[in-house]
Amino acid sequence: MGLFILRRLGVMLLTALCLTFIVFFLTNLGPNLEKLAKTQGNNRMSDAEVVQWLENRGYTRPLVVRYGEWLGVAPGWTRVAADGTETGRCVDRGMTIETAPTFCGVLQGDLGFSTVSDNEVSAIVGGRLALTGWLMLIAFSVMVPAALIIGILAGMKEGSRTDRTLSTISIASTATPEYVSGVIFIILLASSTAGLSPWLAENGWIEGRTLFLGSSRSAMEDITFWNFTLPVLTIALYGMGYIARMTRASMAEVMTAQYIRTARLKGVSFRNIVLKHALRNALIAPFTVIMLQIPWLLTGVVIVETLFNYNGFGWTLVQAASNNDIELLLSISIVAVIVVLTTQLISDIGYVYLNPRIRIS
Amino acid sequence: MTQSTQDQLQTHPAAEMYAREYKDGHLDRREFLVRATALGVSAAAAYSMIGMSPANAAGHRQTPPMGGTLRIQQEVRVGKDPRTYDWSQMGNLGRGITEYLVEYNRDGSFSGILLESWEANEDATQYTLNVRQGIMFNNGDEFTAEDVAANIRGWCDATVEGNSMSTRMGILVDADTQQAIEGAIEVVDSHTVRLNLPSPDITIIPGIADYPAAIQHRDYIGQDPLEHGVGTGAYRLAAHEVGVQAVLEKNPDHEYWGEAYLDRIEFVDLGQDPAAWMAGAESGELDMTYETTGDFVDLFTSIGFEVSEVTTAATVVIRPNQNNPPYDNRMVRQALLKAVDNQVLLDLGMAGRGEMARDYHVSPIHPEWADVPAIEVDKDAAYALLEEAGEADHVFEVISIDDGYRRDTTDAYASQLRDAGFNVERTVIPGSTFWNDWTNYPLSSTNWNHRELGVMILNLAYRTGVPWNEAAFSNEEFDSLLDQANGIQDADERREVMRRLEEIMQEEGVATIPYWRSLYRHYRPGVINAEMHPKFEINPHYLGIEA
Repeated sequence: MGLFILRRLGVMLLTALCLTFIVFFLTNLGPNLEKLAKTQGNNRMSDAEVVQWLENRGYTRPLVVRYGEWLGVAPGWTRVAADGTETGRCVDRGMTIETAPTFCGVLQGDLGFSTVSDNEVSAIVGGRLALTGWLMLIAFSVMVPAALIIGILAGMKEGSRTDRTLSTISIASTATPEYVSGVIFIILLASSTAGLSPWLAENGWIEGRTLFLGSSRSAMEDITFWNFTLPVLTIALYGMGYIARMTRASMAEVMTAQYIRTARLKGVSFRNIVLKHALRNALIAPFTVIMLQIPWLLTGVVIVETLFNYNGFGWTLVQAASNNDIELLLSISIVAVIVVLTTQLISDIGYVYLNPRIRIS
Repeated sequence: MTQSTQDQLQTHPAAEMYAREYKDGHLDRREFLVRATALGVSAAAAYSMIGMSPANAAGHRQTPPMGGTLRIQQEVRVGKDPRTYDWSQMGNLGRGITEYLVEYNRDGSFSGILLESWEANEDATQYTLNVRQGIMFNNGDEFTAEDVAANIRGWCDATVEGNSMSTRMGILVDADTQQAIEGAIEVVDSHTVRLNLPSPDITIIPGIADYPAAIQHRDYIGQDPLEHGVGTGAYRLAAHEVGVQAVLEKNPDHEYWGEAYLDRIEFVDLGQDPAAWMAGAESGELDMTYETTGDFVDLFTSIGFEVSEVTTAATVVIRPNQNNPPYDNRMVRQALLKAVDNQVLLDLGMAGRGEMARDYHVSPIHPEWADVPAIEVDKDAAYALLEEAGEADHVFEVISIDDGYRRDTTDAYASQLRDAGFNVERTVIPGSTFWNDWTNYPLSSTNWNHRELGVMILNLAYRTGVPWNEAAFSNEEFDSLLDQANGIQDADERREVMRRLEEIMQEEGVATIPYWRSLYRHYRPGVINAEMHPKFEINPHYLGIEA
């Protein structure tokens, strides 16, 4: 087991290395650097000024060397300007080249500097991740129980009316992407001119203009039922249908197994069959699916956070990408790799516990 | 805000001439005020010269109650050296900390903030700036003429990357050293600065009222006020997260020279999409917008926000870049102008919110505007011109930013070209990348903000070789006439030169300039002194909110 986890960690490192290099390469293509110079310097700079700007900030040196600097295996660049001011990769404000460290990369625990936010990457990513963590946690705690219940109810009696109804609902929900359901929710529940809210307000049943809030900005400080329902629902709905379908399939299969028939012949009640005999076996497949939904949710939050103005991890990714914020994007990639591979690791280990027939070798 | 005006000029020979022009109907009130106050006449005196009292005039501010928090929807960008500000939003946030010498008012007049008053000599070659007494920086230093001189020297430093003040100071900059001309900036005494101009320039005062002209402490020139925090303003930065929010709070350690009302001002960044601002307004997350555009003007009004409108010389310029064939051919450019009906662009792009323009970048609210008629729209003649030029097969790629009125106007432009028989391809580029290459697109639209005088915009955008010359327009006659216009103080005389400049722009087919925009802003009932400003300015010191 220890060896297995170690091997997985090795894979994780290697993947992170490859991915960050690809991101580094793409963000350092000529036009992207020009974009960076113009968003950071002045968006109406001339070409000569752009070259000067990039040169002054060490962007014109070879790609591999700069990637090495970011990793922390190559010494950071330094430059002394004509007027004597010293700048460099590792030279923070108020430091000189003498006092600054030679190496400052990921290996030294320095994630770098976010150009768009004018701040240390580590200071940004942490807070944003926490915000997304809340969103995902609540979305998960809504999505998973709902999906399992729907799946189990549908799978108990394959082909019954309950099964057909619930299956239709889950197919519809999983076929509706977040950017469609989110907009529909806003129109129905969070607009003062359309949907339910004007009618509710007219009857005096709600205090504000709208039932729910179409902007979740206030949830960054204080999560309430009113400002957080729509983003949570939007994310949960999409994943819910998928997990429910998986659970149903798994449940339906278990219900046709020999031991269930034996139990029925012995006169065990249907309720006991479902709860005591079928459930545990039926949950093995959905468990993997649920764990794999976590990285999938990461892409969902990109859309939902932008739509609802919730400044978390997904929103930061959009901002970083559209402003070509190189070091912020690299850190986001690392986080994404860690999330994806960790959830896979957990799902593999969890599988062993749920299904004794499987062994990790 | 207490503004002493007694030391300002009560009259000026040129201003009296303008007053006569106003009475003869050659000038409207706004034009008169721009010109009279730019010469150093106080706003109150200017009003009285034309027989009005400022109390009844537009732009008079109320006195709000003390205290309160106001949330403004506005992009929150990184802080930087004010000289290199390229967004008025940066100026708005910084304005709470670093103030300006002079301020441009909604009604087109100028009034002093850090300057008590200013005077120009008769031919506008010498300006005397009288610095307001008794102003302290929040680090305890006194604000003096030395600070003013140091800032102006900094503005003139053309070696600084992206310093847009050096273009505004144009005439004071030595072309060889890229610094201020020796002896041009003279400190007369502790509170007087004199500017000696090598040739007349009437744009100095509008130039120093613009958003990159924030006044820094003399030791902090070239640094970011959001970082060092030193300034004369009443506020300090309490939080600043780019793209998310910025918070100004009243600085308790600083005795402000004037009055400031609000305790706290939050700039809330809800992104570029007006639908998101609308959602924010409905969710009660903002009290005031920076600007409301297009259909959202009516939508915001419908949810009970108050609207404030101002007419400007702001516009969208759809220009071919003459470095890209076939746009180096004048016939092709003229065909483009002839094929497009500006009224349609105004109706479809702006829902009629504005006034039709005539393909030259001088607006009727500019003092020197000459009434040159519009180019006649004739789609057949346009196509004939195109055929004559041998470019009938050319595919015209029309580029715009992916945002509101700019996209809609450009769409209308493209479809009109199609109607005239042109081959058109339409490209929309997202706002985050559009500006990377905006001066070089072969045929694209750009929004231009309001400028106070007609010559200012021509100097900035159409003179040969200037950085913002996105049309790559180069015309010797135009340049020399523009030089001439820059030195003519009398608007009627300048108008004669301007007439020819406007004609050249039409003849050369420089750009389609379809309309002059009206600008709108919305705020919740009870928000005070938040009216829309032609240059999008928000001065945190004036704002207030009813309890």
